[in-house]
Amino acid sequence: MGFRKRGMSHFLKRLKAEPVEVILFLCASSSIIFLFLMLLFIAKEGAQAFLTFGINFIIGSVWETNLDLYGAFPLIYGSLMVVAGAVVIAVPLGVVTAIFIAEVLPFSFRDLIKSLIELLASVPSIIYGFVGLLFIAPQVARLFGISSGTVALTASIVLAIMSIPTIVGVSGEVIAAVPRDFKDAALALGATKWQTIKSVVIPTAKSGILASIMLGFGRAIGETVAVLMVAGNVALIPTPPWNYLSPVYPLTATIAMQMGEAAVGSLEYSALFGLGMILFIVTFIVNTLADAIVKRESKFRSGVK
Amino acid sequence: MSKKANKGISTIAAIAGMLSLLIIGLVAGYYVNAITAGNQTSEFEEDSSWRTASITLSGSTTVLPIANASAIAMMNKYSGVTITVQGGGSGVGYSNIIDGVVDIGMASRDPKTTEITSAQSKGVNLWLHPIALDAVCVVVHPSVANSSHSLNLTLQDVGKIFAGIFTYWDEVEAGLPHQPIVIVVREPGSGTRGTFEEYTMHPWNYNVTTSASVQPSNPAVRTKIETTPYSIGYVSFGFLSDSMHVVSLAKEAGKPYVYPTISSIAKGEYPISRYLYLITNGQPKSGSLADRFIDFVRSKEGQQIVEANGYLKLPYVYPAS
Amino acid sequence: MSKVREKVLFAFLGIPTAICLGVFFWLASVLLSGFGTIKWNLLTASVLNGGYLEMIVGSAYLLLGAAGIASPVGVLAAIYLVEYAPRGRLTRVIDQAINNLAGVPSIVIGLFGYTFFCRQLGLGISLAAGWFTLSLMMIPIVIRGTEEAVRMVPNAFKEAALALGASKWRTVRSITAPSAAPGIITSILLGIARVAGETAAILFTSCVLVTRGLPKSPFEPVMALAFNLFVKIVALGESPDKVFGIAFILFLMVISLAAAATAFRIYYRRRQPWLK
Repeated sequence: MGFRKRGMSHFLKRLKAEPVEVILFLCASSSIIFLFLMLLFIAKEGAQAFLTFGINFIIGSVWETNLDLYGAFPLIYGSLMVVAGAVVIAVPLGVVTAIFIAEVLPFSFRDLIKSLIELLASVPSIIYGFVGLLFIAPQVARLFGISSGTVALTASIVLAIMSIPTIVGVSGEVIAAVPRDFKDAALALGATKWQTIKSVVIPTAKSGILASIMLGFGRAIGETVAVLMVAGNVALIPTPPWNYLSPVYPLTATIAMQMGEAAVGSLEYSALFGLGMILFIVTFIVNTLADAIVKRESKFRSGVK
Repeated sequence: MSKKANKGISTIAAIAGMLSLLIIGLVAGYYVNAITAGNQTSEFEEDSSWRTASITLSGSTTVLPIANASAIAMMNKYSGVTITVQGGGSGVGYSNIIDGVVDIGMASRDPKTTEITSAQSKGVNLWLHPIALDAVCVVVHPSVANSSHSLNLTLQDVGKIFAGIFTYWDEVEAGLPHQPIVIVVREPGSGTRGTFEEYTMHPWNYNVTTSASVQPSNPAVRTKIETTPYSIGYVSFGFLSDSMHVVSLAKEAGKPYVYPTISSIAKGEYPISRYLYLITNGQPKSGSLADRFIDFVRSKEGQQIVEANGYLKLPYVYPAS
Repeated sequence: MSKVREKVLFAFLGIPTAICLGVFFWLASVLLSGFGTIKWNLLTASVLNGGYLEMIVGSAYLLLGAAGIASPVGVLAAIYLVEYAPRGRLTRVIDQAINNLAGVPSIVIGLFGYTFFCRQLGLGISLAAGWFTLSLMMIPIVIRGTEEAVRMVPNAFKEAALALGASKWRTVRSITAPSAAPGIITSILLGIARVAGETAAILFTSCVLVTRGLPKSPFEPVMALAFNLFVKIVALGESPDKVFGIAFILFLMVISLAAAATAFRIYYRRRQPWLK
């Protein structure tokens, strides 16, 4: 970064010198513009639902299109339930895999295994849904003796498979970023490789791993098509509420299923944008927090170095 | 290799890659249009503008398979016409016709009063063209009733079962097993559920009991009923199977119990039935593509498509035998 | 702790990795099991004759158009962020916004695409609306990949050009961008692979179940593999074995794109000595 100028006045001066910079700047700020437009338009379309039902749009427990009643709580609960299940399955698998790849696996294998797991991330979600519906749901039904396998548990399993690559990828980067010196110091003091991992690598990478879990969570809660195909799609809170063998209707699935049915401008249409608004805000917060953790971490580390 | 040459290669690779993608796209496009367009020679003296016309359909997913197959059949038959089919739901079918966004809507229910007033205020004349009949059939697991001990219910009895007023089978009818009733319903918003509740629940202001198991599709309900003893549910006529017992229904006590058959549904004797519609704004201009498409669906060929998809052909076009 | 015990422990740590890889191979084998049942002539047969051709080409149209929008925007944005952006609050906000855009669920992007591109801008259900909607998902991927590629260009290259009196933009054009080209192309390919199987974003914005041929202008709707697979399973309730061919082709298309991107990256890292 030898020639990076600093400060606002330099910026304005360069703007005059190189007008192309304006175009570059506009491209760079397009993300802000689109985020802002998204918020604006989704809020505009969803406003009617929030105005009609108030807080009951979020805490109301009846989502019934035939009665034009929209309380999103069972849907929010369904989303959280499925994602919680996925996190419980995916986090141990993902984090241990990341550690294994970065610290244990011989160097020559690393790239290959990492690439294979990255390929898993690019498999389209409709393929995961298709495979889940065709192969995982029947196994869940057989294993637990239920008539239909499209239940919260199946959705959690499919989501877990889908979030593992995110968790492995981000955790892997964080673990790889643990300074060599730290590890060398521990090894020089006579620690075994395992002791080094346990007391140096994991503690140093701890918050980065947490961020990777949050990013995986954000990805999972917004996943639509795969979840829709295997979650059963019933807008009721399971009885008892922790029953993973009953169908649920996550937020994303509700939007995708009912959007086609809703007439533009109707209360149902607005309610679906209201759900979009909830999703937008939740993922926005989760992603911002995860980023903040990663940034604080890297700042801390560059300070140590 | 020198860095400069390397850079040159990567730039060339980039440009070549982009160009080849573009060329592949264009060639593929020409090829597709060549094999799908067909000849458009006008051998007919009559007004043949419909032969190169385009129409768009949207609406009910129940009608979607029929419209999809009919559109493909008609496009194969007349090589110049374009028929585009979108999904949606019955609500979208009506609102798109009212907004003038599509040429033909699809619906599996009659218009609601709000839709009629909205159409009137915009000067739109909702024109319903029945294309098929469907019946919602009440089914039970063979442990409740079978061919030698058939089950007969009035619509209100059915309502009482689904509302949870009857909880054991022997409360419904003496001689049935003393076992709790397992209720299976469709998801809220389903057209099948709407039609079912309109006939069995709404007249008595019943609501479905919260203990009901909710299934997302006709096949899912069928599987659930077939595998769950003492269960009751409802499916579209096309989804009946031999491993379920089909209930005979009477409109009210004292009226005859009717078993759903092609003939009893066609004659209107079976109480829970509905038409599937194509909708237009006013009667379509005679000879236009929309008019011809609707005629096609109601022709012998179109009605065979209707039957192949598990629905009943129109009785008055080709009377049921 | 003895060496042997540590070896055993590491072996146990390997189990989750094995599970992950097992899932991958299971998925591949499940889809490959349908390999024999696929009728290859359907690939070049029209939808009107029961084939998939319009869906395959339609998907390609969607992807090429989206890449056409996302690539220039993403690449220029990344060059700005690496080479021009001052270290200040605005740059931090832009940086954060890119991450947040990448994190917006695709169904929400689809909702936005419908209300903004289809309705507000009046594009209707069309190829163009699909391009814009999908490009929103590709832009963050292209930016991040390009940033990395541009950062890897050694400063010595740029400084040499500047010292010879080249302007900054000239340096970017003739030194930085060409040197980073393989990385940029990889990021574009990855972006395409990421949205190739995307369903939720095009669900309401650009696709129809059936029509004749391909769109003749960007303002006409299109058929696409992912959309048709979704509608056939979810709305039409067609049995899975009937749609297996579409699922398999979609899988093949996306995996080969992603694999091509990875292979391209590995190949060029070896060719360019300044990239480790």
